[in-house]
Amino acid sequence: MKTTYVQAVNAALKEEMERDNNVVVFGEDVAQFGGIFGATRGLLDQFGSDRVKNTPVSEDSIVGVGIGAALGGLRPCIELMYSDFMLVAFNEVFQTAAKFRYLHGPQYKVPIVMRAAAGSAFGAGAEHSNCVESIFMHSPGLTIISPSTAYDAKGLLKSAIRSDNPVLFFEHKQLYQIKEEIPDEEYLIPIGKADVKKSGKDVTVIAVGLMVKRALEAAEKLAAEGIDVEVIDPRTVVPFDKDTAFDSIRKTHRVVIVEESNKTGGLGAEWAAMIQEELYDELDGPIVRVAALDVPLPYNVGLELTSIPDTQRIIDAVKSTL
Amino acid sequence: MAYSKDFLMKLYRNLAADRILEERLVELYAQGWIPGHIHSGQGEEASYTGVLAVGKEGDQYKFTHRNVSAYHDVGISYNHIFCEILGKKGGNSDGKGGINHIADKDKGVIGLVGALGGTIPVATGVAYALKMKSPGNIVICIYGDGTTSRGTVHESMNWAAVWKLPILFVVNNNQFSISTSAEECVSVPNPGADRASAYGMPAKVVDGTDVLAVYEAAKELSDYVRAGNGPAVLETKVYRWRGHFEGDMARYRDPKVAEEWKKKDCVKKFETYLLDNKVITEEEIEQLRKEVCEEIEAGIKFSEEAPQPDPAEIYDCLYAEEYYR
Repeated sequence: MKTTYVQAVNAALKEEMERDNNVVVFGEDVAQFGGIFGATRGLLDQFGSDRVKNTPVSEDSIVGVGIGAALGGLRPCIELMYSDFMLVAFNEVFQTAAKFRYLHGPQYKVPIVMRAAAGSAFGAGAEHSNCVESIFMHSPGLTIISPSTAYDAKGLLKSAIRSDNPVLFFEHKQLYQIKEEIPDEEYLIPIGKADVKKSGKDVTVIAVGLMVKRALEAAEKLAAEGIDVEVIDPRTVVPFDKDTAFDSIRKTHRVVIVEESNKTGGLGAEWAAMIQEELYDELDGPIVRVAALDVPLPYNVGLELTSIPDTQRIIDAVKSTL
Repeated sequence: MAYSKDFLMKLYRNLAADRILEERLVELYAQGWIPGHIHSGQGEEASYTGVLAVGKEGDQYKFTHRNVSAYHDVGISYNHIFCEILGKKGGNSDGKGGINHIADKDKGVIGLVGALGGTIPVATGVAYALKMKSPGNIVICIYGDGTTSRGTVHESMNWAAVWKLPILFVVNNNQFSISTSAEECVSVPNPGADRASAYGMPAKVVDGTDVLAVYEAAKELSDYVRAGNGPAVLETKVYRWRGHFEGDMARYRDPKVAEEWKKKDCVKKFETYLLDNKVITEEEIEQLRKEVCEEIEAGIKFSEEAPQPDPAEIYDCLYAEEYYR
């Protein structure tokens, strides 16, 4: 069936709520309103007000109550609206969700999914546009998923809800309305498995979220110039699928990492360091990072587009490795 | 209220045992036996043992850094407690959690978040799960007067009231958050109870050195919560006998006030009541104390002999599933 990314998220929630009565959904404006991006539309009518609930504007507690509900045997899939608001609940995500099991022992598990809309959206500004994966990647215990297609979003959200670990699930705002064909029948995508979105032999581009789309656009343009790019989408930022990435690098020997968050301390910083530590002999040159400029994302759309990597910057980065 | 001898004896045993454990922990810390910090609950034992006496099978508990002895009241053995304190095998976390994370899910212990107040939303979430899956059970959520000023506490009180969740908020008001007195940092005389009306829930203030008064108040409020009426607040007035942590000489407060409060010793008070009412004899008190001490010493010995965690297991328990590592 032809579906948008946000409809795929909605379908995953619906299927998992039908399958398991312990799956509950709560967050700001998720009930009658269906979430400000429409991801939870229709769930209240189908599953009722015990399982689909609006919450106060209390982000610390949306995560904290979710953790408690998970400890109590439910499988909460909570919505934090903007991924920026996950920073309001920083202690709950970074300390509590991530560490609770490790600190209390194997009797304790925290099967919670924290969904949030991430990324730039043409004027949403510095506090409603962040990609926060790299911040939370620093806390062992979390699983972090950032799907770039409707197909991946559905299959990975279903796996996330079934996971016994706390999962951060980032849906990109600019991808929500993109339509694609996905299977009618049920499917799951395993957590921790990257996807080769385009194979190629010259340069490996590792990209996340919206940047996968940009990387594919760049690859198409580069193909016209005879440069064959392989685009790897890790899909799950944590755990990172080293096998798929390393197999690609062993083939191309050149790496570009593309992300939408600020360059300093970003995903590219971590992955570039890891690749040079573990795969140095396979590299023919420095790993190149393409990331947002190190500024808060400006409100002016022209300035926003200056900050966020575009296709041309990816093309230039790929060429610089050759 | 008329109490059965069994009830009184069980309550006394918990109260006396908790005092003995709190005293022993201070000694052990002074000897360098305990890593990290301890926060003594001496003088405050009745404020939680009295509340825990209302607990029923299936209820869930959230304690604090200052009521380590409460873990024994809900059935966790001294062997387990001391192994966890020493960070050895034989506790719940194999050396990863420690004294503030003593836990046993089967005994209803929720666990603890290190930044105080962080566990209040977690306990509220457990109450939501209880409401969905185990009606009639409640969460007993204990915290201190300092924690009442955390935003998470106010969020959770509001949330629990709106969703009518089965959670009893218990504020052990020992009048200090480290060195800062409650009157310096809280705008109302009763940091727990006076804020309850803002969230439309009932509250009581009780003398936390009178274990039966604590029990009576907890019983009334917990019955209300258990019946599905939503949350309530119980504030127990106590005084922190010792410093915030061991090594804090508490020079920021008037020693005369501390001495006055120490006269209101909750254990002695209850012993006097039991002796006056001929529920117990001096000999029985001695015998009980001896038994508890033996059990505690056996726990200490057990933990000293317990194995250290294996460094090869340092990644164990980080994730619940195999997809990682």
